[in-house]
Amino acid sequence: MILEGSVRLPFRYAAGTTASTFLEALRDEGRLLGSRCPACGTVLCPPRLDCRCGERATELVEVGPAGTLVSWTELPGRGAYGLVRPDGADTAFVHRLLDAPESLRGGMRVHARFAEERSGGIADLAGFEVAS
Amino acid sequence: MRRVAVVGTGQTRHAKAREDVSQPELVREAARAALEDAGIGPAEIDAVVLSNMELFEGRALPELWAGEGAFAAGKPCLKVATGGTSGTSACIAGFHLAASGLFDVVLVAGFEKHSEGHTQTGMALTDPFWDRAVASGAVGNFALSISQLQAERGITEEQAALVAVKARRNAARNPHAHLQMAELTVDEVLDSRMLAHPVRMLDMCPQSDGACAIVVASDEPARRLCPRPAWVRAAVTRHEQPYLGDVDRRLLTMRTLRDAARAAYDAAGIREPLRELDVAEIYEPVTYAELAWYEALGLCEEGEAGRLIEDGVTAMDGELPVNPSGGVLSTNPVGASGVIRVAEAALQIHGRGGERQVEGASTALATGYGVYAWSDVVVLQAEAA
Repeated sequence: MILEGSVRLPFRYAAGTTASTFLEALRDEGRLLGSRCPACGTVLCPPRLDCRCGERATELVEVGPAGTLVSWTELPGRGAYGLVRPDGADTAFVHRLLDAPESLRGGMRVHARFAEERSGGIADLAGFEVAS
Repeated sequence: MRRVAVVGTGQTRHAKAREDVSQPELVREAARAALEDAGIGPAEIDAVVLSNMELFEGRALPELWAGEGAFAAGKPCLKVATGGTSGTSACIAGFHLAASGLFDVVLVAGFEKHSEGHTQTGMALTDPFWDRAVASGAVGNFALSISQLQAERGITEEQAALVAVKARRNAARNPHAHLQMAELTVDEVLDSRMLAHPVRMLDMCPQSDGACAIVVASDEPARRLCPRPAWVRAAVTRHEQPYLGDVDRRLLTMRTLRDAARAAYDAAGIREPLRELDVAEIYEPVTYAELAWYEALGLCEEGEAGRLIEDGVTAMDGELPVNPSGGVLSTNPVGASGVIRVAEAALQIHGRGGERQVEGASTALATGYGVYAWSDVVVLQAEAA
């Protein structure tokens, strides 16, 4: 006998002050922020309050909107995704790529495109497109 | 610290769906087999360590169901969770418990029943802020790293396909394995459906239902229970930053695995792993990862991994057979997969490998891999040192 069904899973996760500031700047100003560690200088994007070296990275600096496409992939039916390192950041993050996969290659310059309607969340960054 | 050894192993038949058994029944199948292999009864187990990824079944408190299957009632019982590494980490925790002197005989049991839940949903439940909205998933994240591996190391699709062929052909000699494909060819791998460029269906591990258990014993009981114990010479685990983009060229550098391997080889006195290891059971969730791990494990120089698979160095009749069991590419009940690596390495030393036995194996490697954030490395040896 197989018991079948599905469950709905409500959630409300706190982003913390640093990521909240990042999400607010993204939504309200169309800007990308990174956290800069006063001790080791590492800039993390998306930002985190606590640097990997142990210090608190309370300083937020603007990164991007241009950046480098580190690597890319294509998920059939869902378009292209890439690992993008915004200028000024030491880390990269995974996000949507807005160009056709055939035109992509690692090391390309890309540029952030922000969503027209922004409501709070990483989807306010519509994706990255190849810089013209 | 006392010396410890693996003295018994047990596995279920692994399959796409084990609808004939419940979760505790599946675990009991493996636990009973491990106890029979060690020649002991449940009363002789002093402690139990468990491994499972509960989000994959969508069922809370898996330690209750796995614990029931693993004879844990009335005994000390813990669950260990380190992503895909959970199974190897649970084994390492079991080694530590027995080495500490607190317990003489420890049962380690891992299981997963992917068919009962929705693995992709479970994976998507990880990071809610950045990754969930993008939802590129495990395959997408592998693909992003693999394109770097191809670009920097010249790894080809054909070389990756050779890994897939080796794994599934080896699995055909393992009665427990899920995907047994004795006739698989490189062309069939290259013709399989693209999941996320450049990763194809047959490059990826399956999702399996299955369980695996091992019996760990300290010095005296180990000698009493097993004619040829698989002594633990090294057991190392390393963790790393959580997000894929946190670490530059993650699959290429794989600092966790490099560091864990170096520490394990030092502990075991291994200088030339390719020559000194007799067999390896490594956690390769995707074909390309096996090639990256060859480098990280020091089996070859940078850029030489493709040659290793082309020359058959890691084939059953090669210098170092890698994954005689068929590996994770052939069988992947995630919570059990790490336990399977250790069990398969141990049974090679026990000399109980049947058709997949590497003749005379006396030094065996087992590794675990967890979402780019954990690596475990275990070295087992016939000599207690």
